[in-house]
Amino acid sequence: MGTFKLDGKPIPFEPGDTVIKAAWRQGIEIPHYCWHPGLSAPANCRMCLVEIAPKPGQRAVMLDILELDAKTGEYKPVQKPKLQPACYTPASEGLEIISDNSDHVRKARHDVQEFLLLNHPVDCPICDQSGECKLQDYWLEHGQYHKRMRDEPIHKPKGVVFGKTIVYDGERCVMCTRCVRFMAEVAKDPVLDMRERGNLNEIIVSPGRELDGHYTFMTEHVCPVGALTTKDFRFKARVWFLRTAPSVCQGCATGCNAHLDYDPRYNRAYRYRPRDNEKVNKFWMCDEGMLTYKEAHEGRVLEAKVGGAVATTARALDAVKKAFAGVPPDAVGIVLSAQHSLEDNWALRELGVALIGAKSLYGAGKPEGYEDTILIHRDKNPNTKGVSELAPGVKPLQALLDDVAAGRVTHVLALGSASALDVEPLRSAKVVTIAAHEGPLAAVASVVLPATAWAEHTGTYVNSRGMRQISEQALQPQGSARPAWRQLADVATVLGFEASWKKVKQIRAQLLGGATIELTPPPSVAAPAE
Amino acid sequence: MEPLDIDLEEGELELPAEPMHLNMGPSHPAMHGTVRIVLELSGETIVKADVQVGYLHRGFEKMCERGTWAQVFPYVDRLNYVSPMLNNVGYALAVEKLCGIAVPDRCQWYRMALGELARISDHLTCNGAMAMELGAFTPFLWFVKAREMVWDILEEETGARLTHSFGRIGGMANPPTADFKAMAGTAVNKILGLVEEGERMLLKNRIFIDRLQNVGAISAADAVSLGWTGPCLRSTGVAYDIRKAHPYLKYDEVDFDVPVGTRGDTMDRFLCRLGEIRQSKRIIEQCIERMPDEGPINCDDPRVVLPEKSDVYTTIEGTIQHFKLIMEGAKVPAGEVYSYTEGGNGELGYYLVSDGSGTPYRVRIRPPCFQITGGLHRLIEGRMLADIVPTFGALNMIGGECDH
Repeated sequence: MGTFKLDGKPIPFEPGDTVIKAAWRQGIEIPHYCWHPGLSAPANCRMCLVEIAPKPGQRAVMLDILELDAKTGEYKPVQKPKLQPACYTPASEGLEIISDNSDHVRKARHDVQEFLLLNHPVDCPICDQSGECKLQDYWLEHGQYHKRMRDEPIHKPKGVVFGKTIVYDGERCVMCTRCVRFMAEVAKDPVLDMRERGNLNEIIVSPGRELDGHYTFMTEHVCPVGALTTKDFRFKARVWFLRTAPSVCQGCATGCNAHLDYDPRYNRAYRYRPRDNEKVNKFWMCDEGMLTYKEAHEGRVLEAKVGGAVATTARALDAVKKAFAGVPPDAVGIVLSAQHSLEDNWALRELGVALIGAKSLYGAGKPEGYEDTILIHRDKNPNTKGVSELAPGVKPLQALLDDVAAGRVTHVLALGSASALDVEPLRSAKVVTIAAHEGPLAAVASVVLPATAWAEHTGTYVNSRGMRQISEQALQPQGSARPAWRQLADVATVLGFEASWKKVKQIRAQLLGGATIELTPPPSVAAPAE
Repeated sequence: MEPLDIDLEEGELELPAEPMHLNMGPSHPAMHGTVRIVLELSGETIVKADVQVGYLHRGFEKMCERGTWAQVFPYVDRLNYVSPMLNNVGYALAVEKLCGIAVPDRCQWYRMALGELARISDHLTCNGAMAMELGAFTPFLWFVKAREMVWDILEEETGARLTHSFGRIGGMANPPTADFKAMAGTAVNKILGLVEEGERMLLKNRIFIDRLQNVGAISAADAVSLGWTGPCLRSTGVAYDIRKAHPYLKYDEVDFDVPVGTRGDTMDRFLCRLGEIRQSKRIIEQCIERMPDEGPINCDDPRVVLPEKSDVYTTIEGTIQHFKLIMEGAKVPAGEVYSYTEGGNGELGYYLVSDGSGTPYRVRIRPPCFQITGGLHRLIEGRMLADIVPTFGALNMIGGECDH
C-alpha cells in the first residue's frame, strides 16, 4: 500500500494498480473509453492521457511540436510534455500525476474527443445508448467544440446482426475493443475481433461463427457507446424515463447483484444491468440472468384461484378456512420455497410450525440446470441456502409425495409454484399454494393466493456462498398480488391464529434475533463505464 | 309595515352598535388578481382591514424546481404577467450570475429596450385601470390603446403578446427583427402622445384629484420598513431605483432620471408612474441608438446556449449539445446567488441555489408586490370604504407575484 498524488490529492494504491484504477477506487474518474476495471488495458482510446511530473532532479520528457500562432498565422516550434495513458501507467510511490489541472491534458482530451466524433453519425435521436453515452458525456465535459470537418464522414456497416442477441453498428463504434476483450478474457470465447486499420476499423465476428454463448449481453453492457445493442432492449425505452432499483438476480444461486431498470409510468421492468460487487459477480451477469427481469410480468399469478377458477382473495381465504377446519396438525405438510425470500419462508415456517403445529417441512424449487465456472450455478433457485438455514431438517419434495401417497399428509400449505418433480399425485391432497408465478405446485392446488414477485417487494436472499443479500422493490404490486408473508398473515388470521408479523422490519428482526442485516454493498462510487 | 311618520322617542329604535363585517373580494372587479380584504366597518369608515393574498396559489417556486433551468422561463412569465419581459430578463441575469457568464453588448441593449417597453405596459395598465375603477373609462381606453402598441412590438419580436418566454440563459431566443428599431422609435412617440391626452383628461378633473390626493398616504420611513420598493417607495420621496443604485445591463451608460413624490399618497404614486413612462421612453431611445445592428445576440458558451438548428440536424456535436441541454439541462455550477433587478413594481429578486445539476435546487422569488400588499391595511384603515379602490389600484398588486 503506497500513495501517489493526482492533481495534488493523495491517492492510495494497491500493488499492481494502474493510476486509473487506484483513482477509480477513490471515486475519481479519469475520462476513458477503452479501460474497464474488469478487463485488461489496451490503451487505445487515448482519452485517459495524463501528465506525469518529472521526479526531482530529473528532466521532463518533452516533445517538439509545431503550434499555430493565431496572430501571425505561422507555425512555431514549441515543446509539450509527453503524456501517458493513465490506464497503462503503474501506480508507484511518490508519483505525481497532473490530470484536470494540466492544460496539455485538457487539450489532449478535447482533441481525442473531436477525433472520436469525426465520423460519428447523427444518431442520438434513434440510438438506445442516448442518455447514458460516454460520447455525449465527454463532449460536454471535455469537448464543447463545433464540428470543423465539412467532408462526408466515412460510412460503415450498420445494423449488423452479430448473433441471436446482439446488433452492431460500425459507425457508432469507437474501437475501444472492450467487447473483444470481454469475450476473450471473461467469457473465454474469443469470437470477436477487429479488421482493417484507421478509420476503416470495424468489429467482426470470427468467420463461420456467430456471437453466442451465455455472456453475449455483457458485450453490449461494456460498450461505452451505442455500437452494440441488444435485440431485447433495442427501441423499447428511452433511458431517461427509466428509474432503477438495486436488485438481486433470481436466475440461479449465484445471486448476482443487478440494477433493475423500470418505467414507473407503466409499472414495467425493461432490463437488468449488472451492479458491481467484487465479492459476487464483479461486473458481470449471464444472458439468462439478465433476461429474468421478464419474469416480473410473464407467467404471473395475479388473482386468487379456487378450484382453478379466478376468485376474490376474500373467497379464497374462506376456502382455505374450510379446507383446514379440523385437520390434525400432523396431517399438514408445509412446503418452503427456494424461489422465495427469507421473509416469506420465515412467515410460512412460523405459521406452519409455531401456530398450526405441523411437523413435516419440505423444500421445493426449480430443477437444476446448466452450470459453468464463471457465474452460472447449477442450482436455479436464489434462496436454497436460506431455506436450509431456516429449516435445517427440511425434507425433499419426494418425501411429501411419499407421505401424501401413504396418507400421512392430507393437507399441504405450499409457497411458490416451482417444483423439480412431477407433483400430479398431490391432487389427492388439499393443496393451498401462495405463488407469484404459474407452475406445477399452483396447478395442483385447490386454492392459489397471488404473491408479489421479487421485483414488487423487498426481500432477502441467501446465495450459494451463504451471503445474505437484499433485493429492493422496483415495481408496484400488480393485480391482487401481495407479498407472500402478508398473505400468510391473513391465512393465519382465518385459521384462528394471531400472526406476530405485520411489517418486513418485524420479520427481519426475528430472522436475525435482533442483529442488523448485512446489506449488499452499495454500488461503487465511480460506476464503471456502461 | 309601520308608518314612517310616527314619532320615535330617542333610543327606541335600536341601531346596531357592532361594527359591520364586509368581505371585499376575492372575486371583485376591483380586487385584481384575487385578493380578499376582510373589513370591519363603522358606518363607511374602515376600522380594521385584514388583507389576504393567497387565493392565487400555484406552488410557483416548487414548479420551478422540477424542470431544467431553462424550463423556468415560462413560469417566471407568469409572475408579473403585465411585464413578463422584465421577469424573463431578471431570471436570465440571475442564472448568468451563477454561471459567471456575460451576454454580448447587443443583447444587453436589446434586453433593456424590451424591458423598458414592458415597464411602459405595466405602468399604463396600472394607471389606466385605476382611473377606470373610479369611473373614468375614456383615459383607460387611451392607455390601453398605447399598451396595444407596446404589445404589437413585443408580438413582432417574440411571437407572443403576453407570455413571451423570450429570455434564455446566455442571451435571448431570437435576435431583434430588422424593423425593431423603427417600430420602437415610432411607437414610443405615439405612446407618449396618448399618455399626454389621457393625462389631460384626468389631472384637470376635480373629482379624480379629490379621490387621489391625500388618500392612502404613507411616510418614507414606514415604506422603507415595510420593504417597499419601486414606484410605491419612490412616491414617498425615496429615490431608490435599482437601475441607478445597483446598475445592471447598461443602465449606468444611459441618461435617465428617477421621478419621486413628496407625500406618498395615491396621487404621487399615479404621477410617479406617469413620470417613469417618460423616462422609459428616454431609455428606449438611447438603446435604439446604441444597439449594434450586427453581432451575436447569445454568448458562445456551449454549456448553456443551444446550438444552431442547422448544426443539430447535420453534426453529431450539435446533436449532443442540444440533447444534453434539453434532456438534462444546462449544468449550472453549484452555489447560490441573489440577483435583483428593477421590475415593474420594484425590486424583483431571484435567490437561486444550484447543486450542480441540470435542475434548480431552489428557486426563491422576491416579488415586489408581496411586500407592498403587506402594507395595504395601513393605508386604508381609518379611511372610507370607497378609498380602497384607488388606493389598492395604485399599489398595482399583481396576483401572480403574490403566490406565496
